Amino acid sequence: MITHPRFAVVGHPNKGKSSIVSALALDDSVQISDTPGTTHKQRSFPLKVDGKILYELIDTPGFQRARYVLEWLQKHDVSADKKHEVIQLFIHEYEDNKRFNDEIELLKPIVDGAGIIYIVDASKPYGEEYEAEMEILRWTGQPSMALVNHIEETDYTLEWKRALGQYFKMVRTFNPMTANLEDHISILESMAQLKEEWIVPVKASIVLFEEYHTQMLDKSCELLSELVYDALSHKEEISLKTEEVEDRDKEKIEEKYKEYLRKLEIKTQKKIEKIWKHEHLEKTQTLLSFEEIDLFSQEAASVFGLTRKELLITGATSGAIAGAGLDLLFLGHTLLLGGAIGGLVGGVGAYFGFDELSDIKVLGQKVGKRYLQMGPMKNRNFPYILLGRAMYHTSTIANRSHALRNTVELNTNNAFKEQWLDDDLRASLEKYHKLFRAGESLDTGILDEYKALLLKALKKTSNN
Amino acid sequence: MHLKSYLNLYALLQNNVSTREERRAFGLDNVTLKNEPIKQLLAWENKYIHHLKKPLLSGDVSSYLYIVTFSLVIIAFILGLLSGITLLSYNGHEPVNIVYFIAMVVFLPLFTMLLSLFSMFRAKNSQSVLLHLTPAYWMEKILKFFPGIDDENIKNFKINPLLANWIVIRRSQFIALFFSLGLLLALLGVVVTKDIAFAWSTTLHITPEVFHGFLNTLALPWREFFPAAVPSIELIERSQYFRLGDKLSEEMISNASQLGQWWKFLAFATLLYALFLRCVMYVIATLGYKNALKKSFLSLEGVSLLLNNMNESMITTNATVGEHIVSSSHTEIQEIRQLKTSYDFVQGWAIPTSKLQVMNDTMKVSSPNIFEVGGSNTLSEDRAIAHKSFGEVLLYVKVWEPPILDIIDYIEELIEIVDKVIIYPIGTEDEMYHVKEKFIKIWIDKFSMIDNNKKIWIKTS
Repeated sequence: MITHPRFAVVGHPNKGKSSIVSALALDDSVQISDTPGTTHKQRSFPLKVDGKILYELIDTPGFQRARYVLEWLQKHDVSADKKHEVIQLFIHEYEDNKRFNDEIELLKPIVDGAGIIYIVDASKPYGEEYEAEMEILRWTGQPSMALVNHIEETDYTLEWKRALGQYFKMVRTFNPMTANLEDHISILESMAQLKEEWIVPVKASIVLFEEYHTQMLDKSCELLSELVYDALSHKEEISLKTEEVEDRDKEKIEEKYKEYLRKLEIKTQKKIEKIWKHEHLEKTQTLLSFEEIDLFSQEAASVFGLTRKELLITGATSGAIAGAGLDLLFLGHTLLLGGAIGGLVGGVGAYFGFDELSDIKVLGQKVGKRYLQMGPMKNRNFPYILLGRAMYHTSTIANRSHALRNTVELNTNNAFKEQWLDDDLRASLEKYHKLFRAGESLDTGILDEYKALLLKALKKTSNN
Repeated sequence: MHLKSYLNLYALLQNNVSTREERRAFGLDNVTLKNEPIKQLLAWENKYIHHLKKPLLSGDVSSYLYIVTFSLVIIAFILGLLSGITLLSYNGHEPVNIVYFIAMVVFLPLFTMLLSLFSMFRAKNSQSVLLHLTPAYWMEKILKFFPGIDDENIKNFKINPLLANWIVIRRSQFIALFFSLGLLLALLGVVVTKDIAFAWSTTLHITPEVFHGFLNTLALPWREFFPAAVPSIELIERSQYFRLGDKLSEEMISNASQLGQWWKFLAFATLLYALFLRCVMYVIATLGYKNALKKSFLSLEGVSLLLNNMNESMITTNATVGEHIVSSSHTEIQEIRQLKTSYDFVQGWAIPTSKLQVMNDTMKVSSPNIFEVGGSNTLSEDRAIAHKSFGEVLLYVKVWEPPILDIIDYIEELIEIVDKVIIYPIGTEDEMYHVKEKFIKIWIDKFSMIDNNKKIWIKTS
């Protein structure tokens, strides 16, 4: 016996049923096609929490022969309280008839107790051919609501709402392509109102959905912190075969070092896409390609990283803060020289660390086994380039509807830096970047603190 | 929590034991441990420990550490004993200079303890130079060359540098403790077995009063309780020894029995500075080690994910079954670009006749028979219109509405009766009946799926 709320998403073919299911179920694997009749079987999308189903969305095929069904029902007309039995009788009689496969598939969950979410596209005019469908749904006697979708720009909402109002007690607008968390929750709240018994479980689902969203943000920021830490502390090594360090050895280690960082970035991006359940993005060839903006190119530095001036201010500020700590320790007897010297050292270090990536060192000279080492990252601007790119990617993925099947365009955006990075955050981040660059083992708390900063910044981008 | 727990958890996480579902189920079964991550991890480890192949890494590493520590402790103890015996060696002609022994049991321990304290502060740094200075660090490196000590398992094992540093720091204290025990034992042994004349001697111009003050300061912790273990000014004066004297001073010889009294001071100095303070250092190192162990335990790769998996609700929204896609065969559909000026029948699918008139005018098409089909018509009404149709039928359809089976049924019925059906997909009135390419394509695709579509034509722009 099914006790959880179920909602059958029904309607005319090609009106966005699968898009809506895809957006509400956060599943980008749902087939969304322009060709009518793509969905042949009902497909369940349960919201499961620890194995327990809280509610279930059911994607169904569209009505194909609504007039035939309605005519059959009308031939068996009974009083209103028995109309749902006629629907059951229809299902029983035509269950094995392929001709009515789509109608059977969409009516079955409804007669089994599912609420009805009827989808229409209000970017196209209302037509009387929809009335047969709506009438059949009325015969089922199940709680129902209509969702007005807008596939295109034109708007016929008013005439649709007038018609829908006669068949459904609730009519809501929902665009799966642009829907965000708030829209999602708002629709769930409406679904809860369909039946009294569904209020508690659907409201509980809303709380869990919000928790789920927080989990996803949290996990993304954890990955971003690890990315920056790994990238800044990484050391690449190659063994030396000759006595002298040749240019090609230096080129080789530099390329290997850069390649490691590029792969690290791509690996993190994939993990973030998985967290946000956008794993199918990679099916489209041009997705998430940063090839035009190489990680080490000047363009990347200007778009995602800091300018030399910004970097100088950041370095000087963080140095001054560290120096001021000393002044405080000596109760000001240092004549505030700590702050001044710290600022100067930090600023100069940042200024000269703008272009340089990392030192290339020859190690193990006295032990006999000589090798070249590159890293940890010396470039002060690099973490901001890497982080900027990662934040941009994460923000785009996190805000992308699962109903979209188009190619993600990760266009470089100068304004994005302003969205997430301000002077305070920059100074706070620099403190951690310094620690990461030192390559020391970190307390678990350090990465957590860094993650908290990123989380705040990422939430800011979601709000914009 | 022990090192073994850390190692077992490391091995379990390396082997990726338990699925996401199992982890969450464990979290729910042990919900009271949710806010106690260490206890929760230990409980999880306990549950899955049997998944690890034997011999366990924890066993290997523990026995390795035990062997290394035990060997180093024995070596240190013997060194301490030998050092003590050497420092207290008395040939009966010259007294034993206590300054060496004091240096060994007071200053050397204080200096090494100071270094240890610095090491503790710098333990976070994986490249700590101070740690590399400790004898324990290098002795372990030397021990690795002995057969049977090094193991492949241990070689591949990567321990947290913080924890590794604290292991070295703690072990150093333990070894130093045994070195000091060796010294104490040497002192007691020599005192018991020999009659030693202790004296003090220095090139520096230090008066007995100054030396007394210094020793009194060293004896501060015990001088109130054991005054006998604090050398008096008289004893200090009597036991000052000058290297260039031809023979021992008369006073020294006359008070020879008193010179042996120094051993009490030396024993207490050893007990306090070399042993007690070292014990304190060992306790501090143990606390630091335990703290590092906890931190390392929580920062093991995969721990964060494991805790998340156990404590976060497992929320899934995906479909339970895969999608079933049906493919159909295609037969090319015939297209026309130019309409004729008149047709035998003009019909509109779900388009009222009034609108069909307007459309005909717009398209410059005329027909004596104009009918609405589909829409609000009954099936029998449609059937009647189909049966009275003949010749060429122009059928307007709304391009934005998908070609559903209801219309296909009608067209299939119609082509049985008429010569030709021209399907004309039109746009909305607001768009001046203009159609978008993508919509037309849907109609073409759908009609190309009909087997017998030779009588069907589609109007394209």
